[in-house]
Amino acid sequence: MAARDRSAISRSDTVVELSGVHKVYRQRQRSANLSQVLSSLLHPTIREVEALRGIDLRVQRGEIVAYAGPNGAGKSTTVKLLSGLLAPDAGSVRVLGLDPIRDRTRYVSRIGVVFGQRTELWWDQPIAASFEWKRVVWDIPRERYVRMLGLLQEVLGLHEFFHSLARELSLGQKMRADLGMALLHEPEILFLDEPTLGLDVLAKRDILTFITDINRRQHVTIMVTSHDMADLEQLAGRVVMIHRGSIAYDGDFDRLRREYADRRRLSIESVGPAPLLDGAQLVSSAGGRHEYVFDAAHVKIAALLDQASAQTEVLDVETHRAPIDDVIADIYEAWQREAGAPVPAPTS
Amino acid sequence: MAGSSPAWTLRRLLALWRFYGAMDLKWMMRDARSLLLWTLSDVITAISAVASTLLLAARFNGIGRWSTPQITFMLGYALLVGMIPNIFFNYNVAYISRRIGRGQFDHVLVQPQPLWMILLTEGFSPFTTMLGLLPALALLAWPLGRGVHTVTIGWLAAFGLNVVASVAIALSFSLIVGSLAFWAPRAAEEINSSSWHLLESLKLFPLDGMGAGLTATLLTAVPAGFLAWYPSRALLGIDGAGYAILVTPLAAVVAVLLATWVFRRGLRQYGRTGSQRYLSFGHRR
Repeated sequence: MAARDRSAISRSDTVVELSGVHKVYRQRQRSANLSQVLSSLLHPTIREVEALRGIDLRVQRGEIVAYAGPNGAGKSTTVKLLSGLLAPDAGSVRVLGLDPIRDRTRYVSRIGVVFGQRTELWWDQPIAASFEWKRVVWDIPRERYVRMLGLLQEVLGLHEFFHSLARELSLGQKMRADLGMALLHEPEILFLDEPTLGLDVLAKRDILTFITDINRRQHVTIMVTSHDMADLEQLAGRVVMIHRGSIAYDGDFDRLRREYADRRRLSIESVGPAPLLDGAQLVSSAGGRHEYVFDAAHVKIAALLDQASAQTEVLDVETHRAPIDDVIADIYEAWQREAGAPVPAPTS
Repeated sequence: MAGSSPAWTLRRLLALWRFYGAMDLKWMMRDARSLLLWTLSDVITAISAVASTLLLAARFNGIGRWSTPQITFMLGYALLVGMIPNIFFNYNVAYISRRIGRGQFDHVLVQPQPLWMILLTEGFSPFTTMLGLLPALALLAWPLGRGVHTVTIGWLAAFGLNVVASVAIALSFSLIVGSLAFWAPRAAEEINSSSWHLLESLKLFPLDGMGAGLTATLLTAVPAGFLAWYPSRALLGIDGAGYAILVTPLAAVVAVLLATWVFRRGLRQYGRTGSQRYLSFGHRR
């Protein structure tokens, strides 16, 4: 569907619908002990790993959804289910009203997929040849191809390496080319699995800008996974956090900060040594400047300043929110501490 | 993707073959030195592969019931059947265990085309492999020029049908064996190298005089007998039975059905487990 047709559709359409999705992997256990190796030939020990435990998720047309979670949480499994590369053991996966496995050919012509560590580019061919390949295999009408190629070359800056071989490109250039390829047929949904993995700061910024831009211009629904929460916060209004195969949080980043821990940093410049503040943890102290972290949901900043003033002469004060990565690290740490206990997480 | 009529399917197939052929030609023109070296090594490998059987036949004036020109024809047939998968199923399509075992099958599944169409067209690389046909054509032309069999339109049609059938049997065997990688990706990643080597080395000898059990094995479990010996025997009239010329095509039908069944089961397994590993090596190079 062309972008101009798509814009006429209500933005409130549900395009991704996961209902009660379960996925279990069976892993054969191996031992280093010889006798156990021999006995496992006859009686193998199989461990079942529940990658997804009854996931329910809906995504509206035009949304950018960040899909996050620690290693092994089930992010890539979900993206593979949504891309039609895996079948659920139970539950249903419907995207754009289609079953990704049963309606594979119709379905994949309407979506785009980019895996950060893989490339669709033809290695020994110029990027131009890979784009031409995409046009022929996806049967993209010439007029649409020319229009989209022009747009993508402009916003992704593909001109500079369009006639270079894929194997000669930097990681950032390859990712730009892969993103361009994934969007050439104007997919309605784009699944991005770790699109910024291994990229330098500049390349990362370009990719993030492009993703938000293409969402705005083409109304492409985007689901993106990343370990880099700062990237995700920059991209998406909504974050879905998955833990041990279940959705632990679904909402916006502000609420995530408020409900889990409103972590702040307090920087105090004083004449004497660092004051001891009840409710805040000193993380660094150098040249009379002392940095603390505290949870603003439980500790009032005024109370901390009163304590500091009572102990020393305060010259300057600064406070700011902790980076989202710190917040997420706290959440993951809490999850690990709970060691398998159900996560008391709010969902919207 | 609109349509699924035979006319649309044919148009798609032709468009895809044309595109992959053109891509191959452009690659060839860009890297002529590598191409020359590869082609030369392909030709030398092909000649070396048949040299021992050819020399034996020349030294003893044939092998068993087979005259030297008949042996030469069989070797030409064997080389031709070996070259066609290179032309049509390059980029590891013929070595499907590599794609499955390395997790590269995901790249196939995200293309909006039937799987059979992707596998039939994606490896088409006629220009970089075509010269490898020369030794095969030379070995076929020499005995036919010496009158080993009368060449008529009907015989040529039977020859073409048998060649296609032999290729289909070789590819089916490769697909069946390669599908093991769906269940054991790491262990079976390179299994198609061994399966092709097995067929290539066994297809070069006439199997007359072997025990019934061994002959049956070489026509079923490891169908090397259908890649040169049996069809050549039928085409040259060494086996006088009239139906012999249809045996290889019928065997091909059975082999293709079996391969389709095994591959589909493998795909279901892939849908359950996905690829647990990914290697970019050999992907689209």
